[in-house]
Amino acid sequence: MQKEDTDILLEMAHDIQDTYGYIPEKEIAELAEKLSESRATIYGALEFYSMFYTEPTGKYIIRICDSISCYMNNSNEVLEAVQDYLKLEAGETSDDKLFTLEVVECLGHCGEGPVMMVDDRLHTQISPGRAVEILSKLH
Amino acid sequence: MINLTVDNKEVTVEPNSTILEAASKVNVNIPTLCFSDDLTVYGGCRLCVVEVEGSDRLRPACNTRAREGMEVKTHSPRVREVRKTLFELIIASHDISCELNCLICNRQNSCQLKDVAEDIGISRMCLTPGADEERESDHSSHSVVREPNKCINCARCIRKCEEIQGVGVFAQASRGPETKVTTFKDRGMGNVECTNCGQCVVSCPTGALHEVYHMDQVWESLYDEQKHVIVQTAPSVRVALAESFGEEPGTIATGQMVAALRRLGFDRVFDTNFTADLTIMEEATEVVNRVTNNDNLPVLTSCSPGWIKYIEHFYPDYLQHLSSAKSPQQMFGAVAKTYYAENAGIDPEDLVVVSIMPCTAKKFEASRPEMNDDVDYVLTTREAARMLKSVGVDVCNLEPEKYDEMLGVSSGAGDIFGASGGVMEAAVRTAYNMITGVNLQEIEVTPVRGLEGLKSAEIPVTDDLTLKVGVAHGLNNAGIMMEKIKAGEEFHFVEMMACPGGCISGGGQPINTERSWREVREKRIAGLYDIDENKELRLSHENPKIQKLYEEFLQEPGSSKAHKLLHTEYVTRGVPGT
Repeated sequence: MQKEDTDILLEMAHDIQDTYGYIPEKEIAELAEKLSESRATIYGALEFYSMFYTEPTGKYIIRICDSISCYMNNSNEVLEAVQDYLKLEAGETSDDKLFTLEVVECLGHCGEGPVMMVDDRLHTQISPGRAVEILSKLH
Repeated sequence: MINLTVDNKEVTVEPNSTILEAASKVNVNIPTLCFSDDLTVYGGCRLCVVEVEGSDRLRPACNTRAREGMEVKTHSPRVREVRKTLFELIIASHDISCELNCLICNRQNSCQLKDVAEDIGISRMCLTPGADEERESDHSSHSVVREPNKCINCARCIRKCEEIQGVGVFAQASRGPETKVTTFKDRGMGNVECTNCGQCVVSCPTGALHEVYHMDQVWESLYDEQKHVIVQTAPSVRVALAESFGEEPGTIATGQMVAALRRLGFDRVFDTNFTADLTIMEEATEVVNRVTNNDNLPVLTSCSPGWIKYIEHFYPDYLQHLSSAKSPQQMFGAVAKTYYAENAGIDPEDLVVVSIMPCTAKKFEASRPEMNDDVDYVLTTREAARMLKSVGVDVCNLEPEKYDEMLGVSSGAGDIFGASGGVMEAAVRTAYNMITGVNLQEIEVTPVRGLEGLKSAEIPVTDDLTLKVGVAHGLNNAGIMMEKIKAGEEFHFVEMMACPGGCISGGGQPINTERSWREVREKRIAGLYDIDENKELRLSHENPKIQKLYEEFLQEPGSSKAHKLLHTEYVTRGVPGT
């Protein structure tokens, strides 16, 4: 894929994801058609970026960082608390389609770890208790 | 021109040549893995790195241009050390050390990892293979199996499928060590718009892609006393099989192959060329009728099953342009299970029809519901070679034998089916006769021969009719040809072949890691034209066994019986979501 096409693809993919919450198959086929690429190429490009979704997600996407700084500040305890509270493993979506839980790489706030992101909102220096409190307000 | 030295040897190259090209000019072999002479340069494996005097960093020879006065060292101590480390890293992603699986790998004789290991002089293996999880093999296709454990992410299959075939079923997904080659949404090759052409298989440097094997089923049939097992051999197999036994590409081994297959235990050895002649009779009849009635022109050929699946996915609006004639493989199956079974007094239930094909898509074709299990098993040329080797038959040293007569006599027109332009040429030879009642004076239609991607010719037939024909090979070219047709370019008849060069470089052919694609293709093609030129019988309609088949069984070309047995229908598949 040409560099300009990649830029266009990412912009269009963001728009689609903003509309549907993920990138449905039909839209991938349309992107492929517009950019004269195969479906597989578009799929491959979207899979490169972990924040694009090609399957439906929960209403809220919870991301917990486990890169080195957050990990050293006990991000695993935050993760365990959230897993217990949501009764979900990392990578899963709840049956009521409310929550998707993910463990992610660095979110760019290494000095303020551990961090948790709820959709676009970042929470820094978070404790297990505070994490659960934030989630409990989302129902 | 540019002058430089490679390992102290002076060399002069054209501007824009790469270091790799310069080195090959002075016979310096730089190891490569992701490089392939028919694909765009990728520069991913880094094995071709070289030292350039005055530059600190090592440069990949495949995508570094030669410059005036450059001094290149291709095998300096530093280069060799770096190469060994790179190779180890590649091998760590390839499931090679466990259970001695090299011994059972389909690429035991054509593994490019082994070649490169030798070229580099590998003497250590310190890294443990990195695949923490066993990655599942993809068995979703009737034609091709993927074993991701052996994949080294060189992206040759991806580029082949996109650049040469214009299809693009593969992509790399995820990042870093998790990067993997996969299909759309991991669906598997059998569940996406794959044409089964197998060009990915022949471009893979390892055993990560191979055909769906039918060898065990064929062994079982051969050992079953109850079964009468007959075999048909496609045109291109006879000019490629000998490569698996150490001979040059294009070596003609027809008689030796027949002798070898008898030794393997087939009850009758027949020729797909015979039904290639039959295909010509049916297809030329259809072309003449459709040209006369201006009915859905151009007529598109239908013998390449990779092309058929391609048009079903990408140009379903044009299915009515396809000739309804079955491919020679399937015509053979249909004739064998009726005419031959009747004549030989064999219950079709006890008759097993095996084909040996240069093709992986033929496996899918034989499984199409429209084809009624007429062909039971399809072996690639490679599988046939493996079976022969495993019983100690050295094909090239056997006394040549003849095909069994009934379905084994063919014209040179049948032989050239394996080369791009061959079906067209064979059909023109017969269609001309059907229209004018006499044979072409010059039966060799040379403008449709050769490796040019798109070819065309005009053949004067009568005062009112000049036949305009087109030829495309490699599915990307087929797509270009379809766009020309869509845009209104007029042809009467167009030959489409899925594989570049035609069936001679099909996805089931021996994998030659020593020579360039072009050379292999040219030599195999030359072999086929050589056979045609030296045959007395060169016109399908003059084949006495074909004439007899019509007299005794099918009545005449295009008859209702011929239609029932020898013609087929196609399926609109499309690409989901478009």
